[in-house]
Amino acid sequence: MKLEIKNISKTYPNGIQALKDVTLSIPNGMYGLLGPNGAGKSTLMRILATLQEPDKGSIHLGELDIVRQKEEVRQTLGYLPQEFGLYPRASAEELLDHFAVLKGITNRASRKEVVAGLLRQTNLWDKRKQRLGGYSGGMRQRFGVAVALLGNPKLLIVDEPTAGLDPAERVRFLNLLSELGERSVVILSTHIVEDVSELCTNMAIINKGEILLEAQPLQAMAALKGRIWRKLIERNTLPYLEQVHQVISTKLLSGRTMVHIYSEEVPGKGFEPVEPDLEDVYFSTMAGYYSAHTEQEVAL
Amino acid sequence: MKFWEIFRFEFRYQLRHVSTWLLFAVFLLFGFVVLRIVTLADNTYLNAPSTIAFFTVFGSAIWVMISGVVAGDAATRDRQTRMHPLTYTTPLSKLSYLGARFLAALALNASMLLMLYAGFLLSFYGPGAKTQYIGAFRLGSYLTNFCFLALPTVIAATAVQFSAAALSGRAIAGYIASIAIIIFSQFGGTTVRYMLGWKVLGSLMDLLGTSVVAEMEGWTPIDKNTRLIVLEGTWLWNRLVWFCISIGALTYTYFRFRLAHIISKSGLSGLFTRRSDAVRSASPSASAPCLTACNATSATEVPGIRGSFVPSTYVRQVLAVAGASFRSVAMSRGGLTLIAALAIGTGLFAAEYMEFYGVPLLARTQEVLRGLTPPLSSYQTQWIIIPLLTILYAGELVWREREAGLHELTDTTPVPEWVMFLGKFTGLALVVTTWVAFLLVAGIINQLVMDYYHFEIGVYLKALFGIQLTDYLLFALLVLVIHVLVNQKYLGHMVAFCVYGFILFSSRLGVEHNMLVYGSDTGWAYSDMAGFGPLIKPWLSFKLYWAAWAFLLGVVATLFWVRSKEGGFSTRFHLAQHRFPKHKVTLPIAMALVLVSVGFIFYNTNILNNYTSTADRMGMRAEYERRYGQYENIPQPALVSTKLQVEIYPDDHAAAIQGRYQLVNRSKAPIDSIHLSTIPHLGISGITFDRAASPVVLDDHLGYRIYTLKKRLAPGDSLQMSFSVQIKPRGFSNEGVDASIVANGSYIESDWMPVIGYNGDRRLREARDRERYGLAPRQARPSLDDMAARYDARHAEHMDFEAVIGTSKGQVAVAPGVLRRTWTKGGRRYFHYATDAPILNEYAFFSANYAVREAQWVPQPSRTKLIQVPERTAKPVTIQIFYHPAHDTNIERMVKSAQASLDYYTREFGAYPYSHFRVLERPGPGRGMHAAPMTIDYQEGYSLMNPKPAGLDLPYHIMAHEVAHQWWGFYLSPAAVEGSGLLVESLATYAAMQVVEETLGYEHLLLYLSQMREEYEVPRSRAAPPLLRANNRFMNYRKGPFALFALRHYIGKDKVNNALRGLLRDYTPSPPLPTTLDLYQELQTQTPDSLHYLLRDLFEQNTFWELETEQVTAKQTKAGSWEVTLDVQARKVVVDSAGTETLIPLDDWVEIGVYATTAEGEALEKTLYLQKHRLKSAKQRITVTVPYEPARAGIDPNHLLIDLNMTDNMEEVKVAR
Repeated sequence: MKLEIKNISKTYPNGIQALKDVTLSIPNGMYGLLGPNGAGKSTLMRILATLQEPDKGSIHLGELDIVRQKEEVRQTLGYLPQEFGLYPRASAEELLDHFAVLKGITNRASRKEVVAGLLRQTNLWDKRKQRLGGYSGGMRQRFGVAVALLGNPKLLIVDEPTAGLDPAERVRFLNLLSELGERSVVILSTHIVEDVSELCTNMAIINKGEILLEAQPLQAMAALKGRIWRKLIERNTLPYLEQVHQVISTKLLSGRTMVHIYSEEVPGKGFEPVEPDLEDVYFSTMAGYYSAHTEQEVAL
Repeated sequence: MKFWEIFRFEFRYQLRHVSTWLLFAVFLLFGFVVLRIVTLADNTYLNAPSTIAFFTVFGSAIWVMISGVVAGDAATRDRQTRMHPLTYTTPLSKLSYLGARFLAALALNASMLLMLYAGFLLSFYGPGAKTQYIGAFRLGSYLTNFCFLALPTVIAATAVQFSAAALSGRAIAGYIASIAIIIFSQFGGTTVRYMLGWKVLGSLMDLLGTSVVAEMEGWTPIDKNTRLIVLEGTWLWNRLVWFCISIGALTYTYFRFRLAHIISKSGLSGLFTRRSDAVRSASPSASAPCLTACNATSATEVPGIRGSFVPSTYVRQVLAVAGASFRSVAMSRGGLTLIAALAIGTGLFAAEYMEFYGVPLLARTQEVLRGLTPPLSSYQTQWIIIPLLTILYAGELVWREREAGLHELTDTTPVPEWVMFLGKFTGLALVVTTWVAFLLVAGIINQLVMDYYHFEIGVYLKALFGIQLTDYLLFALLVLVIHVLVNQKYLGHMVAFCVYGFILFSSRLGVEHNMLVYGSDTGWAYSDMAGFGPLIKPWLSFKLYWAAWAFLLGVVATLFWVRSKEGGFSTRFHLAQHRFPKHKVTLPIAMALVLVSVGFIFYNTNILNNYTSTADRMGMRAEYERRYGQYENIPQPALVSTKLQVEIYPDDHAAAIQGRYQLVNRSKAPIDSIHLSTIPHLGISGITFDRAASPVVLDDHLGYRIYTLKKRLAPGDSLQMSFSVQIKPRGFSNEGVDASIVANGSYIESDWMPVIGYNGDRRLREARDRERYGLAPRQARPSLDDMAARYDARHAEHMDFEAVIGTSKGQVAVAPGVLRRTWTKGGRRYFHYATDAPILNEYAFFSANYAVREAQWVPQPSRTKLIQVPERTAKPVTIQIFYHPAHDTNIERMVKSAQASLDYYTREFGAYPYSHFRVLERPGPGRGMHAAPMTIDYQEGYSLMNPKPAGLDLPYHIMAHEVAHQWWGFYLSPAAVEGSGLLVESLATYAAMQVVEETLGYEHLLLYLSQMREEYEVPRSRAAPPLLRANNRFMNYRKGPFALFALRHYIGKDKVNNALRGLLRDYTPSPPLPTTLDLYQELQTQTPDSLHYLLRDLFEQNTFWELETEQVTAKQTKAGSWEVTLDVQARKVVVDSAGTETLIPLDDWVEIGVYATTAEGEALEKTLYLQKHRLKSAKQRITVTVPYEPARAGIDPNHLLIDLNMTDNMEEVKVAR
């Protein structure tokens, strides 16, 4: 099954164009949608999750038209929103059971089985009787995953799931997600590069409503090989350096500044080559030095 | 500075809300419109202070209801938007934070009421104002009302709303606080004030000022136009109490409120919260993070079960959503407990309100149900809380997921919109059903408390779960749809309140057709005799009609159900278009159902029947007068005999009447045409005369006919007229079905028959109505000095009467007269009645499954031979009481009362002319009786009276009163001029008082009088005409009898009865008919000259005495007797109809009484001294000597003279040792 997004555009009533002619083809497996805050990720995710209407374009999940056949899509959809609340007085088991009915699992025995299974899988089994009001951020997030996984969805949409999680919770959460990619289309939107590099076999980079890059992380990193250089400089020399070189990122390191630049040739004194990681791909793309176009060039 | 900034920011922020401006608009519009459409009592101005006060109170009531959002929002916005971590951590003090927010809310709220006043001013001085009803501009009228009524209300209500919201952290608590205020202050206040009788407490509870408005009922027109509301007396205390409540609430809030992260709630604040909280984004008490690299997922294999989407799944989902919705309301603190508490309270306090003039009532289910099943359009009931809470919880349910923040989770589940809508509706319906179950509990508790154990559960179920629940569910669906469509919670509440307001006040807004007011119907009633009667069919038709609308609304709400991020109109419209294919069957079905039911109802109300609004009917009356008023005084023949053949078909609610009138020309000139007034659009046909006549006017629309006689009817000559009347409901009208003929308990009055000549009773009486419909001014009732009116004797004419009535087999039919014969024919029973002495043209037919109690009364020789007695009445009179078999409580005392009354009246006033005396029960809640010649009827409500053994026997008294009408009203019919009520009702009441005294004793009479005097406490204007021109109920039933009772204590019982006998002696039914002047003359004859001043004060002018005992001291003389000294104050005031008061010198005989302590087992105090003293105006000292130690003493102890303040007449005696 494949998710085909064709020429989706969306403009809000206040004039902000959140998506400009977005076209993506998303295969089975984990798909990362990477972009800065405000890039249009959540808008795209909500459109995929049937919560918003695109102004233009079409989206198909296999045979299903997501824009028009919302109800059928929902029968096979799992969605973990970026931000959500829970009824604080309900217990996890109660609420998950309720959602199971809403997801169409009406047989009492199988519902019980599914709920128990999901609570175990998300490691909430021991806390199943606890009120959701007392859950930590990570537990809530995992509970959300449990809800999303109900009914064995073929399309799973996960919007910024790791924002606000502590490192340990994040690891646990990503582990959970990684298991899901095997069965269905999983789309993960994030602004954290590591989330994608650790999980996804395919990815796209989006900014200001436009898709800048659609690639496989490994290939993209390989394509950049030999073009990323770094240098440790004093902070006050940065403006000068920016005039001379194509700076893609700066990072503070022990009070000095580590600069990454994009250069197809050896940039000169003091620069050393870097093995490009996904972060370099991301920043190069954002800075406009790397695009689907260059990738194609490389592929040729 | 910070304070000012917070205030400024809040004020301006709220001004950015559309809802704030809408509220402003609502009040401006309300103020403008209401004073344009209102009709005031005569002689008061639209801008009179009292009018402004009334509408200030009305406007504040609306304000309290719909504006809880302002204070709620101001108090909780930071927490609701989760911005509080930012604001709470700024260096600002709690005082300035809370204080400024509160003051901003207060300023906004006060502005709303200022808008109300702007609306008033616009109404008075804007274009199209009715300048003739507007007095001079007076700033004080506005200022006093605003400052003493509106502003304190706004301060207190805002403080309570703000506190509730701030402490619970939820803006909705502002609304709940509003409802609590209304329930506590209005329903609580009125209950405490009127039902429990704790006046001061009740007045203090009243926040809005309804008690002040109620007091204004007692103001004279002059007062109403000039008197300003001032802070004094109870009202001052009221405002102080509410000011303290405000300060208290705010102080409590100040100390309880924390500028801190909120973890859990407890205490008072929790009272207004739902138990489930809003979103908490951060983890309050997270479990310790697992630092080991434990795997978040275990290796469990989750079964890959997919949802199945078959019809049963949707049913299961509806139930799941319904269950969750119900639980969320049921678990909130107010959800079920408020109604449960109210129900229990209503049941437990039953003894306080299930009484009639102090007489306990039987808690029969039909009576208990009347209190439990108010129509949706009634606001004078505590159960108004049910629609209000429905609005509130509909909003909560629609917004539940969104407020908890998990709407994105639920909205992406494969649940169709209709399942969500239906699920929530079912949940709300379950809540409402639970509330209605509490009503049932209230009814049962009520009956238990009243020691009534015949629980008619079946009737309860039908009335509560069949009828009342249907109404509530229709309403619940409407408000749910409103909340879905409006898609803004507070705006949704406002719209819902406005729609509810429209339902409440639609008739006042001139919208009367039940098809136009959501959920309305033609009304229903349950009676033991008639069951639900014929009204249930139109009720059901209207409910089906509204159910069709509800279905359509439901489909529309489903189409526009919001389940996406965007609530914009175009998106929703777009989505609705997408969803439409799924509803392409249901939507047309819903529309078709609406169309069919519209057609059905319209066919019934407007085509089968003639739809007329109140204005139409007034217009018809005006037109009737304009067209035919010219015939008012033309000579017409008198009706001397009526013969009727009546077929009653109880089960079809139909009757067919064949009638024959014998008409005699008693005038001195020949009559050339016969005029008839008939009920408009009644099936009257077959009018023929026994001589050639041709119709000239046949106006069925206004109900007037003129037939010209070929040969004129010579004086003394007679003719016969035949007619037939068909009573048969054609479908139903907007009023329902005429309930005269029911399965059991039919009652057909003589009003159905054609009336000879012009019918002056149809005249518009109110001066302003006459003006509006372009009629010349005319007094409501002809003046006492109108000599011509005394010659209008049509209502006093007697006739012979004969009727054959057929009814269904099991029933007994009754009409006036002796029962000549009964027989059965064709499965129907027939009864033939004929009178043995002539009766007035006022009669009725009855038919029901009656039980009959029969008794005899044997006449004593009459003291006076005034009435021309046909020989037969020397025989005993048969008393027959026809009653519903289960309603037998009062039958024996009714028989006794009838016997005692006939005894006393024949002895004192003359013989009873008929051989029968009948009393019949008929369906209905009324508690009184209605008299017709030889027949008295009463509604079932009378049979509920269940006097305590030693208590007031009101049924006995009422019966005696109605029997007295056989003399006062039927034998003697006064001229239809001012004061006629004195001759009919006052004399009947006074006569009945004599019967009560003679049979039940003087003590019982005093009990009766003290109960009747309670009516003094109802605020009433002192401005009134003198008793001789009595024109209202109070004068006829209270002041008149009191005056005669007082007179009797001055001149003696016999003298008064002599005067009454004199009146009867001189009476003949031929004109001129007697007036109160004749009575006055008789009374003057019987009264010594020295007391003529008293007659004048009691009857000729509207006099009030102000008698007060300031202090009483006593000391024992050497002889052992006691010398009592009273310091008394006496004044006398005459008040005219406009309210002008004139102090007149007092030189009157007034009773002075001295009493000893009540001995054991004695009901009355022992009288030591009771003598009349001649008193002057001003303070004076009176000294009397009594044999024993006195306890109480004072002036006019028996309240013979009219003194509105009766509490200061008597004082405890201070004994000087």
